[in-house]
Amino acid sequence: MKRRRNQLSLAMVGFLLGALVVIQLRSQEAGNGLDTLTTTELTVLVGNLNTRNDQLRLEVATTQAELSALQASDSRGDTSVGQLQADLARVRAWTGLDPVTGPGVRITVTGGIDAGSVQDLINELRNAGAEAIAVDAVRVEPNSVVNGPVGGLLLGSVHLGDPFEVSAIGNPETLTGSLTRAGGIIAQLAATDPAAQLIVTPVDTLRLPATLQDLVPAHGQPRL
Amino acid sequence: MITAPTPPRPQSSTFGSRLRRIPSWQVTLGLALLVLGFLIAAQLQSDGPRAQYASDARGPLVTTAVGLQAQQDALKAQILDLRSQISNLETKGQGSVAAATDLGQRLQDARLAAGLIGLKGPGLVLQLSDSGQTVLPGDNPNDYLVSAGDVRTVVESLWLAGAEGVAVNGERITTGTAILDIGGTVLVNSAYLAPPYQVSAIGPPDLLDRLSASVVFKTFVSGRAQAFGIQVHYAELSEVDLPAYAGTITLRYARPDSSAQP
Repeated sequence: MKRRRNQLSLAMVGFLLGALVVIQLRSQEAGNGLDTLTTTELTVLVGNLNTRNDQLRLEVATTQAELSALQASDSRGDTSVGQLQADLARVRAWTGLDPVTGPGVRITVTGGIDAGSVQDLINELRNAGAEAIAVDAVRVEPNSVVNGPVGGLLLGSVHLGDPFEVSAIGNPETLTGSLTRAGGIIAQLAATDPAAQLIVTPVDTLRLPATLQDLVPAHGQPRL
Repeated sequence: MITAPTPPRPQSSTFGSRLRRIPSWQVTLGLALLVLGFLIAAQLQSDGPRAQYASDARGPLVTTAVGLQAQQDALKAQILDLRSQISNLETKGQGSVAAATDLGQRLQDARLAAGLIGLKGPGLVLQLSDSGQTVLPGDNPNDYLVSAGDVRTVVESLWLAGAEGVAVNGERITTGTAILDIGGTVLVNSAYLAPPYQVSAIGPPDLLDRLSASVVFKTFVSGRAQAFGIQVHYAELSEVDLPAYAGTITLRYARPDSSAQP
C-alpha cells in the first residue's frame, strides 16, 4: 500500500514537471513579443507595417514592369543594354555609388554634440524616409559611423568641424515634421546635448556626393 | 559496569549512513521537487521583465499586426524572386555584346555593394538577450531589456571593426535601414523582430579581435551587459550567411546627378 502511494506521488510530480517543461518551452517559442506591447504601441506598429507594405507593393510593381520589359526584349532577341543601364543607374544612386540631387532638408549642427546623438539623428532621418544622406561632404553608407569624443567627431577619416551639416534627400515636409515634432529627435537632443544647436532647413535642391568607399565585399562571396 | 565512551564517529560517516538509510524513492522525489521548484522560478522569471498586457482591445490589433507581418514576408519573397528572374535574364543577354557584358558585371558589383545579393563568408554572430537579473528597486525595468539602441550600438561596433555586411535576425542592414524601438521591442527595415536578437556579420579574419578592442563595444559591454545583465553571446564562424535585402530601392525624390557615371 505504502509502495503504491510512493509511486503515485512520483507520478504526480513527474506529470507536473512535464507540464511545466512544455509550458516553458511554448512560452519561449510563441514569444513573438506582441504580448508585451501596449495598445498605443501596437497601433504605431500596425501603421508602420502598413506603410512598409505599401512601399513593398510599389517595389513589386516596379520590379514586375522591369522584368516584363526584359522578357519582351529577350523574346525579340534584342540585347538589353538600355535596360541594364537604367537598372545600373537606379542601383548605384540608391547605394550611394553615384551622386544624387533632389529636395530635402539640411540640418546645421553647432556646438558640442555626442557621436551617438549624431547616429540617432541619422537613424531618425532613415526612419522618416530619407533616400540619401551626407554629413558635410561624406555620403553616408550603412557602414558610416560617426565616432570620437565631443568636439573631435570623425566620420571615417574625416574630422567634423563646428558647425557641420547633415543633408538628406526626401520629402522636405515629412523629414522636417519628423525631426521637429514634439518629443522628436531634435527635442530629445535638446535635453541630452544642451550645448548643441540644430537648425533644420527645408531645401528645394540638394546635391549629395558619391561615396569614396569601395563597397564590394572582399571577404564575403555572393550567395547565389 | 562502566563502559568507556564510544569515540565520536566522523561527521561525514554519520551523514553518509543517514543518506544510505533514506529510501531511494524519497531521494528521487526530492530531486524531482528540486527541479520542479527551479522550473517554477524560471517560468516566473521569464514572465518578469517583458510585462504582458491582456485586454480585449489589443486582440484585433495583434491579429492585424501578425497578418501584416505575414503579408510583408510574402511581398519580400516576391521581390527576391522577381529580382532573381531579372538577374538571370540580364546574364542570359550578356555575351552577345561586349557593352552588355561590362554593364552586367558592373550591375552585379553594384547589387553586391547595395546588399541586394545574399552574402556568405567568415564572420561573427552575436546574440543579445534580455537580462535574467531581478530588477533592482528604483531601476527602470526597460533597462533590463535589449533595446534598439543596443542593437544599433552592436551593429555600429561591427562596422567600425571592419565588417562588410551585417544582418539582424535575417534583416540585411543597408543604406536606408533604421533600427527603432516600439515599446520594448525592435523594428529593423520596418520588420518586427522578436528577441533574442542575432547580429550576424561578415568581415576580416580578425573581426572579433577588432570588435573586442573597440571603445564603443567595450563601453556597451560595461554599460549594458555588466550593469544590467544584458546577455551577449558570440560565435566565430567560418561561414556566416547574410540574406539579400528584400525591401524597396525605388527613389521618389533623389535623382542621379548629371555627373554620375553612365
